Amino acid sequence: MPFELIPPNTKIDFIGRGKLCASLSVLLILVSLALIPVRGLRLGVDFAGGTEMQVRFDPGVAVSEGTVRGVLAESGVVEDPAVVRFGDPSAREFLVKFKGGEEVADPTADLTAEQAVTASVDRVELVEGALVSGVGPLSVERVDFVGPRVGQELRSDGLWALFLASLAILVYVTIRFSSRFAPGAVVAVVHDLLVTSGIWVILGFEFDLRVLAALLAIIGYSLNDTIIIYDRIRENMELRTKAALRDVLNQSVNQTLSRTVLTSGTTLVALLSLYFLGGEMIRPFALAMLIGVVVGTYSSIYIAAPLLLMLEGGDSSQESGKAKAASAT
Amino acid sequence: MSGLKWRVGLILVLMAVLSVVTVSNFVPKETRQQSEFWPDEGLRLGLDLQGGINWVVGVKIEEAIQHELEFLRDSLVESLADQGVQAGSIVVKPGQLEVAGVDPASREQIREALAEYNSLQAVEGDQGAENYELTADWEEEIRDRTMAQVLEVLRRRIDDPVRGIPDSVVTRQGDDRVLVQIPGGQIDRSRARELLKSTGFLEFKIVLDTAESEDALKARFVGGIPSDQEIAVETDPESEQVIAAYLLPEAADITGDYLDDARLNWDNQQRPLVTFRFNPEGGRIFGKLTEENIGSQLAIILDDKVYSAPVVRSRISTNGQIEGRYTVQQAADLAVVLRAGALSVPVVIEEERSIGPALGQDSILSGTRASILGLALVLIFSGVYYRLSGLYASVALLFNLVMLIGVMSLFEATLTLPGIAGLVLTVGMAVDANVIIFERIREELRSGKTPRTAIARGFDKANSTVLDANCTTLITALILFEFGTGPIKGFAVTLSVGILTSVFAALVITRTAFMLYPGGRSVQKMSI
Repeated sequence: MPFELIPPNTKIDFIGRGKLCASLSVLLILVSLALIPVRGLRLGVDFAGGTEMQVRFDPGVAVSEGTVRGVLAESGVVEDPAVVRFGDPSAREFLVKFKGGEEVADPTADLTAEQAVTASVDRVELVEGALVSGVGPLSVERVDFVGPRVGQELRSDGLWALFLASLAILVYVTIRFSSRFAPGAVVAVVHDLLVTSGIWVILGFEFDLRVLAALLAIIGYSLNDTIIIYDRIRENMELRTKAALRDVLNQSVNQTLSRTVLTSGTTLVALLSLYFLGGEMIRPFALAMLIGVVVGTYSSIYIAAPLLLMLEGGDSSQESGKAKAASAT
Repeated sequence: MSGLKWRVGLILVLMAVLSVVTVSNFVPKETRQQSEFWPDEGLRLGLDLQGGINWVVGVKIEEAIQHELEFLRDSLVESLADQGVQAGSIVVKPGQLEVAGVDPASREQIREALAEYNSLQAVEGDQGAENYELTADWEEEIRDRTMAQVLEVLRRRIDDPVRGIPDSVVTRQGDDRVLVQIPGGQIDRSRARELLKSTGFLEFKIVLDTAESEDALKARFVGGIPSDQEIAVETDPESEQVIAAYLLPEAADITGDYLDDARLNWDNQQRPLVTFRFNPEGGRIFGKLTEENIGSQLAIILDDKVYSAPVVRSRISTNGQIEGRYTVQQAADLAVVLRAGALSVPVVIEEERSIGPALGQDSILSGTRASILGLALVLIFSGVYYRLSGLYASVALLFNLVMLIGVMSLFEATLTLPGIAGLVLTVGMAVDANVIIFERIREELRSGKTPRTAIARGFDKANSTVLDANCTTLITALILFEFGTGPIKGFAVTLSVGILTSVFAALVITRTAFMLYPGGRSVQKMSI
């Protein structure tokens, strides 16, 4: 007997739960949207601009978040720095975030090009100096600085990338399948983006380039799932031209269920190992991907397939669906 | 059967070659370069893994355009004054020249004078005023020239082969940015910032004596060269051979601080030459110097190296030219050198990504751990779930990783931390293609097909599904590559290559494994 997680003749009525699931997703998206004005959409340094410094104090330096904050406030080198401990408490590592970074001293002063560059202030060095004299010896492990122009570009490029990816998918599915399938695939993808971002907002995490990369990978991954189900639906439609569309959809989702669960499983296993062992730097990416894979799998089963039925105008047989499509053109 | 032998043979050869390439990444660089066996280069580590400084330096091109407008204004005022035309006021506005308060009588003359400047074009101005701006072509020219100058300056400061930081890279990025990458462990951040700001030193000196080599020149002075004089040499830019040695006064006759501009130009026989322009004070000093030294050689020295020593033919004040038997390239290079002492426009760091070497090392370690654990879990899972077929899938997955790393090494791609994440993700997703095929085969078996037919039909039906599913992921990966910067691009690279190798592994390698066993045999039961 082969090892089976999903018994071969599983017949779950996924399509019947489509409406319930769609309402659930919409509710989740609404909650996250409602939370944005309350909590503010948290953008990381990549998109909001500013500086993020990771510092590690030398062994033996007694230091807490409070002392770092106090020393920085007293020195006044940067406005409103945010200080958080990074990773393990014994590591004496902190993240210091503040607005601004490298700045030309006085843009209105009449300086030569060379003088302007030499006179520019580097806030990282100011912070480093203040912490060394106020707390103790340290090493700067990481500096991420994004100026206003670059931040603006990264924001618009990021949105463009998400938009283009969705558009490319629409085109691909239209060409490879038919225009009947394309809207469902795109709605499923947009659903995944919104729900994953929504969960991210609800959890109160920051959006940065890593999360954007995860969102784009999720588009690809979730669509992968959806396409495999659609592929089977297309095949079954050709085999059973007389059957009700609803039955064909349910049959197809059930037939591919085993594959859907298995692939999500191995991907989740790899991502979990990345989340737990991959280190602090990669953790946000791994977490966003974990959420996205779960959401993507759910949407492929409960959203993408039922959507086909809704778009065809409810419980009708395939024949009438085709007739409708024909009369529409 | 011989077709199958070929197939297996080709796969084994491919894997052997790629395994060597993959393993070579773990061999120390020195050993690799000395030995004939290992390839010299392999995967590069991104700055986020090896540690280092990554700067995007913004160049204020607008200022260069204003400089150019000021230059054109001065030249226009001069030529109108020569013709005795009352020009009213010509003012430099942001991006434009405004000609206002013009006496109607002289309007036509001004237009004629302006028409001679093919770098300017008329645009709509405010009531009665006539405005001019740079033509698109000329603006492009200014942009390129400014970027070339800034690049030259920053290269001299950062990645000069002699004085700079080893392995650092300075490249142009887009229209108005320069990317500066300094690998870690060699220099701290503040020192690198100082280097970025260190001005190159340009001097002009009258040549006192010259010979083919330093020794030949020294031989002429029995008691050693006078204390207030020094020797500098000129080297051929390509062969780096000394082509001339010059005896020069120690103190510069004039420095590059007074130089406003220098550019490639052409004489009336269309031979390339370099024209340059001092500011008024520099013009006075230079005028006096050249007047007193007509017929002598004038050495142009940047950071103690002689770049050129043209003969002074006449008195030169503000605007001068350097003639010689230059090729276009040499003249263009000389112009860049003349402008290279100081930055002609301000630059500012617009983005920084710096990582200490220790943190990079940590990332490599934890990334490797995550990859190994992920791989182990997926391998165990396939073996347990699909038995013999799972073993095939496991072999295909291992081959897949060898291909992925091997191909990336062959292209000398850069591995970043997000790139490692892409690798782990590939491990998780790569079995997908096998799962699609195996589930299909199981279905066929359930419907009563013999193992042989089930395998054939399974692969046939799964083929297009596998291609479709992976195409879409590939599309998003390519979009990510196009829009991503730095480390994120590394993720897009591993993800894209990983998709291609996964498809190959499933459709070719797993398939071949099934051809070997059960192959043509009619087995009763299948281990799947």
